[in-house]
Amino acid sequence: MYEVLMYDGGVHKIEELFDLIEDVGGFVLQKTQVQVMITLTFAIPGEDRPLIQAKASELGGKIIEVPLAGTEIAVIGPTLGRHHMPHPICDIAEHLRRYGAITIVMGLARGRGRKTCQISAAEKAIIEEYDCAIFMLGNFKECITHEKIDLFKDIQIPVVTVVGPEVESLPHCEGLVCGVGRKVERMRRSEEIAKLEEIADRVKDVIGARRKEVEEDPLFVHPSEVKDALDDMDAVQVCLRPAPVVLHVDGLRVKIPYKKHLKELEELEVYGHKLKDIATISDCRLGDSTIIKIRTKAEVEGRVRS
Amino acid sequence: MGWARRCFHPACWGETLVEFELEGTEQYALESYQWLLERILIDMGISTMVERAHFVIRPDQTLFIISLKVKQSGGKRPVYDIAEMESREGGTYINIKDESYAPRLLATLWRTYGRERVQQLTRLEIFVDGVPSEEVSDMKLDPDEDVRSQLLDALWRLLPEGLKIRQEIYDHEVMTIVATEHGMTVDFIKEAEKVHNKMIVPEDD
Repeated sequence: MYEVLMYDGGVHKIEELFDLIEDVGGFVLQKTQVQVMITLTFAIPGEDRPLIQAKASELGGKIIEVPLAGTEIAVIGPTLGRHHMPHPICDIAEHLRRYGAITIVMGLARGRGRKTCQISAAEKAIIEEYDCAIFMLGNFKECITHEKIDLFKDIQIPVVTVVGPEVESLPHCEGLVCGVGRKVERMRRSEEIAKLEEIADRVKDVIGARRKEVEEDPLFVHPSEVKDALDDMDAVQVCLRPAPVVLHVDGLRVKIPYKKHLKELEELEVYGHKLKDIATISDCRLGDSTIIKIRTKAEVEGRVRS
Repeated sequence: MGWARRCFHPACWGETLVEFELEGTEQYALESYQWLLERILIDMGISTMVERAHFVIRPDQTLFIISLKVKQSGGKRPVYDIAEMESREGGTYINIKDESYAPRLLATLWRTYGRERVQQLTRLEIFVDGVPSEEVSDMKLDPDEDVRSQLLDALWRLLPEGLKIRQEIYDHEVMTIVATEHGMTVDFIKEAEKVHNKMIVPEDD
């Protein structure tokens, strides 16, 4: 089982850490260098963590837990209007990034209002491409418990709802955080930061449960192994979009056009298998990207036998 | 619920002088909207312009009423107080002395004489075509105009986005907005008028 960690330290002798990660069969997921400091997100086999830990101490850096690394999370508001943006939606998205998640912010076209709020099939399909969705639902209890719950009723990924009033429970969602309603300024007070922590904890629980679910029927390869192969593609190397390959719990998002690169992606070799044999490759709902869902070990081996 | 002398939120303590009256079915919604209004007013720098605020929030009926009573400002100021005027051939030349009134004076002149007759020569110099200087110097500038438009902006920021059916009632010092989602009923308007009148002439507690 791979474990995703973050190294924070200086660049001096950093090649030794790169070599060690490679030697233990790990992968560098993200590298951010600012002058002589470097932040490295990497995936390594869980049993080799003490080795990495020792090397990090030797180099004078530290290893940070990033429980949400390797996930892409959507934070969704009723609209993109100034009533909901940038606070608190962007505050939540920003806070989750500190735990290693890649987050996006999304506003529904007609999510505002009580009886008039709605979500389209296209919006649902876009949301379902992510590992987890966080819905911000506002300040009115009556409105949330009677009408807004329909917004995420049919969503097939784990949902965490964030609401203002105290609500005991809500249907159709895996996590609930109360006490964060509409805001007109940044969440920077200690009690607000505690709420952001609570949201992050709830998301960690939900993602943890999703990972366990995946482990029960393990994937044929870990997404970071596919990322390693994808990083060698010319199209990925010349892609100027930030984080051209984004890991999901059960796959990846590659930010290169699906139609143009489908053949190349299908023929990509991962541990002696073509990518089309071990994963489902599909077009992304948000333009010019490709979604790769890795098949489980059972699915791939079953195919080979048949 | 009685008058709240200060906002429930500790972040607002010591910063506001607005008195609130809250009325509705959901405590959290009332308190959070009180806090939101406080923050919006502080953000826009107009928290000292509001004397009292009254909220009626009933999410079960999709009803939102907000009424604000504006603090009385110093009154209207004549143009001769803030600018020097000189009669010239074909019109009046104005040299503004108090810069803070420049935009308001220009807007008033444009509104009164039209853009063709008002030329802004430099930042603080204006020439009004075909108008005697006595007429311009007797004009009065209303500082409340700006306050009203800023308050209206604050209220539009505050009102829930989904409540698109809105009706405003306003007079000299009180501004009331009633908002709902589907259809405005006579009862909603009557209730808004009641709140509005109560803000003009407060009932004795």
